[in-house]
Amino acid sequence: MSAALRRPGLGIWLRRLAAMTRKELLLLLRDPVLLFVIFYGFTFDVYNAASGVTLQLKSAAVAVFDLDRSAASRELASRLQPPQFVPLPPLERGGEGQKLLDRGQALMVLSVPPGFSRDLAAGRTAPVQLQIDATNTALATLGYADATQIITQFGLEQALRRQGISEAAAAELPQVENRVRVWFNPNQEDAWFMGISEMLNVVTAFAILLTAALMVREKERGTIEQLLVSPLSALQITAPKVIAMVIMIHIGISASLLLVLEPLFDVPIRGSLLLFALVTTLYIVTLSGLGLLIATLTRNLAQAAMLGILVLAPMMFLSGVWTPPEAMPPAVRMLVHISPLYYYSDAGYAILLKGAGLDVIWPSVLGIAGLGVLIVASGLSRFRRQFG
Amino acid sequence: MNLQRISAIVVKEWREIVRDRLFFALAFVVPATLTLLFGFGLSLDVENVPLAVVDYDRSALSREYAHRFSDSRYFDFKGQLSDLREADALLMRGQVRAVVVIPEHFEQRLLSGRPAEVQTLVDGTFPFRSLTSKGYITAINASFSAGVLATAIAQTRGVSVEDAAAALQPVPVEVRYLYNQSVKSVWSIAPKLLMAIMMISPPFLTALGIVREKESGSIFNIYSSTVTRGEFLVGKLAPYVGISFLNVLILWVLACFVFGAPFKGNALFFALTALLYVICTTGIGLLVSVAVRTQVAAMLGTAILTIVPAVLYSGILIPISSLSSVATVIAHLLPGMYFANITVGSFLKDVDLGELWPDVLALALYATVLFAAGYRLFHKRTAT
Repeated sequence: MSAALRRPGLGIWLRRLAAMTRKELLLLLRDPVLLFVIFYGFTFDVYNAASGVTLQLKSAAVAVFDLDRSAASRELASRLQPPQFVPLPPLERGGEGQKLLDRGQALMVLSVPPGFSRDLAAGRTAPVQLQIDATNTALATLGYADATQIITQFGLEQALRRQGISEAAAAELPQVENRVRVWFNPNQEDAWFMGISEMLNVVTAFAILLTAALMVREKERGTIEQLLVSPLSALQITAPKVIAMVIMIHIGISASLLLVLEPLFDVPIRGSLLLFALVTTLYIVTLSGLGLLIATLTRNLAQAAMLGILVLAPMMFLSGVWTPPEAMPPAVRMLVHISPLYYYSDAGYAILLKGAGLDVIWPSVLGIAGLGVLIVASGLSRFRRQFG
Repeated sequence: MNLQRISAIVVKEWREIVRDRLFFALAFVVPATLTLLFGFGLSLDVENVPLAVVDYDRSALSREYAHRFSDSRYFDFKGQLSDLREADALLMRGQVRAVVVIPEHFEQRLLSGRPAEVQTLVDGTFPFRSLTSKGYITAINASFSAGVLATAIAQTRGVSVEDAAAALQPVPVEVRYLYNQSVKSVWSIAPKLLMAIMMISPPFLTALGIVREKESGSIFNIYSSTVTRGEFLVGKLAPYVGISFLNVLILWVLACFVFGAPFKGNALFFALTALLYVICTTGIGLLVSVAVRTQVAAMLGTAILTIVPAVLYSGILIPISSLSSVATVIAHLLPGMYFANITVGSFLKDVDLGELWPDVLALALYATVLFAAGYRLFHKRTAT
């Protein structure tokens, strides 16, 4: 046997790779429902996530139980206005507020005790009570912050008025005004954040589940045997699946960015799309290693799907997109660094929203690449051992 | 409906599930793991926001102002920066999320009785975090500002600073957080987590279970048997409903005993509505399995169809009142929202059928519609 036969040239190696890639793409294209699911994930699903959700305090229902019925109490009540608050009709009896809160029809009930305006006019403290439905912690916190700010401001104005200081004069008193400027997303559009985060999640889900599925399917149907007796190396069997998937996902991302996020939600694409595509490719290759690992651990698709979810959910969770890493317990904060999505979302937001270049995001790229080498190497070596 | 035939299918399906040990184990491990993970880790509390200060004034008062931020537990002080360019770079790299910029003459203006202005730059990439940070910043600034104002008034009016400060805050707010007095987010999350995870896991099991038969071709045995479609669907789905209901109980135990969420409601009412809910979500899996031909499509389709609505539209992270009109419609079309009302009501509020009957009715309707549609669309003969 000549050396040339055992070690085929680069040309043949590439042609085999191309043929296998063509086979994988044909398989994908011949499952129209699967194609629809991929298309749906990158367009409708991203649209839903971007359009549907706002974590801002918007139209939270507030009821006022006014026992004072004075000009001052009415003025205080009238300050709880849209967009944050929606005033409900004034309450007549004490139990009504409790009922509204029980049914979840009001977020807050503000009670103004009798004698409120009298105490205020006499310069005594005139406390008010605020009951907040805290079943939703996030909303309760925002609602509390907004309501107390409004009430404190009201109190301050009343106090200054009582001391005979006019509004114009009050503006000249020594006070500190803090102008908060929000960068990268000045209006704090949840659509930008939610849309991009959903797109990154869809990429993650497809990259892991699809690779695992494409591999396990060959095992389950027994077609892997045919591949193993062919003159293909482990890399030539696995790489075409990854290449096919990279192509599909890039088409999906383009649809997401150019058909949904940019035209419909005005998401600014500030950075280089080429850089984003390169980082994404690196990321998909890394994740396909995970898919390969799952495929070697399972025997059928049902197992692979469940195991995939078990890997996917913690990864999304540890990405820091839902929960800020700063707020996590220290032990969990360390774990964040083993989630490739953590680096990918960091890089993704930086490129798309902040317009960052490679000079800024290189630590993230290094993180993905480091994990990638580790994961892909172990995936390939397990695959080789299983079928070698 | 022949009970004997149904039980035969149930037994066959159950054996198939149990004999695939890894799959059977994962059917229980996945929901429990997700609950523990999210319950312990998912927190919407915004704390330790990394913050830096650019102090152009370098006076006693500006340092005191900066201290108000660095001493707060809401911020994690990352140090003083020399200028705005450095602030810019750190914000860009995501190493700090907020920068307080104190201009020159800050102290001088305040001591001479004039207002001063401070600027804070906030990274808006994560809107919820930046909104909450803004709230903290406003509150810290207001308290500092009130102190400065009280000092000024105390000097001009000749009263003590404490009296002046008290006079400036005539309307204190007494807050009472209902249902969750200490605003522990794990309490409010655990019941909804149960709902979200049981929205994801049953459809997965079911869709994979049915499509598996379609893909491997074993479904032709059913097609050619005397089993009717109704009997097949009931027999096929019963084990998955059983597994899912068992999962509800496991998650309930986790919520109560691991996360310490109080269960104030009626256990029987909760169990029955949970069963109804599990039937609903199993029905979603049935519909998916009718629509697709391959397991790959079933798996990805269920993932896309359930995970996003479960997390986003069911009130777990985002309250329904904050949803846009389109999303509100979608939220109402899914069973999760109704069951979220029931779990939250049962866990935290001690309300039952008297208050929650509309939600129970919605779930019952939902289950009926899903199974009717699944029954109509599932044929014992393939189209091709």
